[in-house]
Amino acid sequence: MSIIKVSNVSFGYSRVEVLRNLSFEVPARSFLAVVGPNGAGKSTLLNLLCRTLTPKSGAITIDSSAIESYSTKALARKVAVVRQEFIPVFGFTVVEMVSMARTPYFDTFGFERKADKEIIAEALEMTDTTRFASRRLAELSGGERQRVFIARALAQDTAILLLDEPTSFLDLRHQVAIYDLLKKLQLEKGKTIVAVTHDINLAAQYCDETLLIGADYSYCIGRAEQVLSGEQIEKVFGVRTYVGRIDRENFFLPLGKFAKDADAIATNLTSNQRK
Amino acid sequence: MKEMLTPKKLLTQITSALVVLVLVMIVCSMIGTQRVSLKAAFGGAGGDDGVNTDYEIFVRVRLPRIMLACLVGAALACSGVVFQGILRNPLADPYILGISSGAGLGAIIAVVSGFGWTFWGRSPIAIFAFVGALGTVWLVWSIGRLTGKSHVTGLLLAGVVVNAFFSSVIMFLTSVAKSDQVFSTIFWLMGNMTEEDFAVLWVGAGCVLAGILALFYISPQLNAISFGDEDARTMGISTGRIQTAAFAIAAAITAIAVSLSGLIGFVGLIVPHGIRLVFGPDHRQLLPLSAITGSIFLIIADAIARIIVAPAQLPVGVITAIVGGPFFLVMLVKYARRVGWLIR
Repeated sequence: MSIIKVSNVSFGYSRVEVLRNLSFEVPARSFLAVVGPNGAGKSTLLNLLCRTLTPKSGAITIDSSAIESYSTKALARKVAVVRQEFIPVFGFTVVEMVSMARTPYFDTFGFERKADKEIIAEALEMTDTTRFASRRLAELSGGERQRVFIARALAQDTAILLLDEPTSFLDLRHQVAIYDLLKKLQLEKGKTIVAVTHDINLAAQYCDETLLIGADYSYCIGRAEQVLSGEQIEKVFGVRTYVGRIDRENFFLPLGKFAKDADAIATNLTSNQRK
Repeated sequence: MKEMLTPKKLLTQITSALVVLVLVMIVCSMIGTQRVSLKAAFGGAGGDDGVNTDYEIFVRVRLPRIMLACLVGAALACSGVVFQGILRNPLADPYILGISSGAGLGAIIAVVSGFGWTFWGRSPIAIFAFVGALGTVWLVWSIGRLTGKSHVTGLLLAGVVVNAFFSSVIMFLTSVAKSDQVFSTIFWLMGNMTEEDFAVLWVGAGCVLAGILALFYISPQLNAISFGDEDARTMGISTGRIQTAAFAIAAAITAIAVSLSGLIGFVGLIVPHGIRLVFGPDHRQLLPLSAITGSIFLIIADAIARIIVAPAQLPVGVITAIVGGPFFLVMLVKYARRVGWLIR
């Protein structure tokens, strides 16, 4: 059963068309990675899925209802978004910020009730942010802050979680930690996750399906090993990439002209791809 | 989680602040050029001529003035909170979108035209200032909207430019006006507390209180909006509606304050920041506490303005900056590190 259905969606900013006739579906409780070069429309797609933007043509369905049929509040109870982390102007504490995610459940004025507090506590617990609940965002490191933004999205208690490059400024350990967390949320909490990412290795290892969008409006969706072939990557990103295999998934090593192993791999590349 | 704001915690804070407000009102009503004894005013009989001087001064002079300071202080502080939050700019104050120059222009047009009529006891200066203030905010808001969907920067720039433009028009009118006219305008622009009629005060207080309550009602939404428009929208907030409502209310209560007391600077800038530094940026707490603290601050400032060069009086706008500035800087240094919005 697909929880997100995108049919023939096109979108453009004034004169520039970004997405053209894009169609795909995301099964409930699955993890989709959206990859592609800069400017291909990945973030635009995310904004369409949370209705910050409206498609020029085509239709988006969330949980069997047209996305435009939802009220702002109702949609916020279905879809939560983790944007690239930033420091807000005013010094909100971690718990204040995570509590804000309960706003769609308030009438207008309100305070967090007991049930809200439990959800907030659980969101902090799952993201391992409880210990700095009373600290302010500006005092945290990038990795910690990203976890707080994920905690806030969790506290919004939605079936769908959209993330825009959740690991862009993080070191290796934190990149892996974020993906482990997302996988845990998918498996334990049954979340449907759509993450825009530049890291095709993490995408392959963690996601069920990968949507590769090219700058020329081409796209393909499927298991990582089908979508992310060396040939496909070179076509879309314009970079020759060594594709290896560990056990169940491929790994990728992009190699530019002056990379040390560029020549060695060039001969090897084709034989490897045939496997 | 003890860090979270609860209704009980908020109620305790509001009550404590109100107690301080009442105490400040009582103390400030007694001091001045002439000391007033409340005991004599309410317990004692009249003097030889049967007139109870203490009572007369208290009711006719001090009380209306304190009420005025109370409502103007609350209006300016709340409006400052809203403009800072919605524009996501710590430098914003109630006048940033052109209210000050609009009101000033209205006032000077009234003075230069030499109108002699009054409306409900109000001079043309007050009426023109009120209309000028609201008209200018409307103009800035409309220009800001033309700059795009997420129009915070466009709005700010439009406000700054309109402010500069109208200020030049004010200077032009001042330079061609007669000197006695200019003096009364400049005195008005500096911000003054005068003994107002009770009817005017009650209506003003009613409007300001209604505005503050309405802002308080949408305060959880203001929290999310102070993070960013897109962020707020994905948290289920109809940002356009809330922003428009908050702007309109903040502009209206500022215009009321300005038409009653002229341009009193600084209250709307430092009171919200002071409360944020001590209690944090949650609008549910920030709005009511800023309102009460704004009142307290302006009542004290006005008391100082009354006594410091007695029997003469200073414009209260002078005192708010002279007293408020250093006080705010001390707080800034003391709390900024803890609050974290200055660490980048």
